[in-house]
Amino acid sequence: MAVLGLTVGIGLWAEGLGLLSTLTNVFLFLLLTQAWNLLGGYAGYLNLAMAVFFGVGAYTTGILAHRGNWPPLLTAPLGGLVAVLWAAAVGVPSLRVRGPYFAVLTMILGFLAQVLAYNVPWTRGAMGIYVSPLPWDRRVVEQFFYFTYLGLALLVTGMAARIQSSRFGAALVAVREDEVAAGVLGVRTTWVKVAALLLGAFWAGVAGGLYTQRIGYIEPTGVFSLDISVDVVLMAMVGGAGTWQGPLLGVPLVMLVAELLRVGVVHLGLFGARIPVEFNRVVFGAALIFIALYAPQGLMGLIRPFRGRRLGV
Amino acid sequence: MPLTLLTEAVVNGVLLGLVYALISVGLSLTLGVLGVVNMAHSAFVMLGSFFALELLLRLGAPPMLSVLAAAPLFFGVGMAVDRLLLRRTASTSEAMGLLVLFGLMLVLENGAILVWTTDTRVLPWQMGQMVLAMGGLRVSFGRLLAAGLALTMILVLDFLLRRTLLGKVVRAVGQNPDAAAVLGVDVTRISMVVVGAGVATAAMGGVAVAMMFPFAPQEHLRWLAWAFLLVIVGGLGRVRNTLVAGLLVGQLEALSGILLPFQYVYAVVYAFLAITLILRGRGLQAAQERTL
Repeated sequence: MAVLGLTVGIGLWAEGLGLLSTLTNVFLFLLLTQAWNLLGGYAGYLNLAMAVFFGVGAYTTGILAHRGNWPPLLTAPLGGLVAVLWAAAVGVPSLRVRGPYFAVLTMILGFLAQVLAYNVPWTRGAMGIYVSPLPWDRRVVEQFFYFTYLGLALLVTGMAARIQSSRFGAALVAVREDEVAAGVLGVRTTWVKVAALLLGAFWAGVAGGLYTQRIGYIEPTGVFSLDISVDVVLMAMVGGAGTWQGPLLGVPLVMLVAELLRVGVVHLGLFGARIPVEFNRVVFGAALIFIALYAPQGLMGLIRPFRGRRLGV
Repeated sequence: MPLTLLTEAVVNGVLLGLVYALISVGLSLTLGVLGVVNMAHSAFVMLGSFFALELLLRLGAPPMLSVLAAAPLFFGVGMAVDRLLLRRTASTSEAMGLLVLFGLMLVLENGAILVWTTDTRVLPWQMGQMVLAMGGLRVSFGRLLAAGLALTMILVLDFLLRRTLLGKVVRAVGQNPDAAAVLGVDVTRISMVVVGAGVATAAMGGVAVAMMFPFAPQEHLRWLAWAFLLVIVGGLGRVRNTLVAGLLVGQLEALSGILLPFQYVYAVVYAFLAITLILRGRGLQAAQERTL
């Protein structure tokens, strides 16, 4: 509650736009990570192409706003819907494939989407799409997206919490633990997986749709980037995949570390100011290895044993 | 004139196909024998390319020599990867094993960018720039050498797997690790050998790639897609099948290169790969249980 009050306070009265925009990015990734967590965390289907849904949403908004100056409150949900359509067309057949093959398949689909975005006529290819900014003061615009993303992130987190304790959530976990056995016991595995995928795709599409309006310019390398997909997986894993609290811990922590590394490396001049981004990614790769080896439950896995003991039978 | 264009494309397709086969054979081996999806495979291809570059720039060693140096070095690297990373994930879920290798890929790729930057490099190698002309047909000497090298390495690997005791043991582990262990095979050691061989062939393939194409650290994932394509077309574990699949894909790429604009070749390959993965994904998993 205190954290929530603080974030609202920052949104209303913060002086610098830098802090506001950094926190907006945190909420954006919180939204994406919760969306990924539905299928990736609860059901254990490692989707390495969350950026595709994000990018589809971003491009839907971009094309609509570029052509017809549609308002963002309308284009963002439309972006979500188009992402759902894309997920239904491409993602649903992919759910037939299991385990590591699913992860590889999603990565390939991510490349495919990027290549298509470069070459299909209506995306303007590598030139990208410009969208005129909202007609308000810069600070008001930033506050608008700050509270929109915050609200959506809270909404989806609440939704994830509800799902986790529902029959739907239990069915997803059953799919993760043993899909065949779950099916035998009467879980409609296909339906459950599809629902989780489409729900996640919708929120990622909405996040992408708002992103276009906020940044004002999109191009294929940026919004379909493998980096976005990887960041989302890493953030969920750090916090604890398959728990609704996991993204709340993982997203701010990873972004804080990224920010510190960025500032720190530039400051030290260790590798020259030109290449700090890659240093970030080396650290993140190492973090991914470490978590997968030693803490597959993430931070939540470290917290849980204590709580379990207190409530234990 | 169109006929020479066509023959040139066919010849180029064969040369490409041989190198693709060398890049992919390690992925097929680790997947077929150990069931490990090596996401970092193409990162080792890229490191192989830069290994050849460094040896050429520092010592003046031609790529034919750096292949010989790369083999033992990257074999050791692969053994270390198996010992330090993969053995620990064997007891947990497949997803965690995949994440470990994915993390390794990120570390290798971005580490390489820190060292060599994102610039695209070409091997500054005199002999490779020579062009052989035979009856109107023009073939790059570098490509010819790279393909010959790839073919040799593939035949050696095929011989090792089919004719030697070690190869038989590896195949036994692929068929049934428990039974192999009962019969006295040290399965953990064989697993190190297999990952070592996979990484070594990837790096040697990387040297061959450097002889054929310009290369850059961030562009290696393309080779991962190509290697998966070959594994899916050719099936798992059998070296000869990978070779045939390589020749097939090489032809496909060379011929579609004449017909389609360059960037559409990628779209076609990725779409084909995604569709076959969806259709054959389960078949591949089932095939994994009865390979070699």
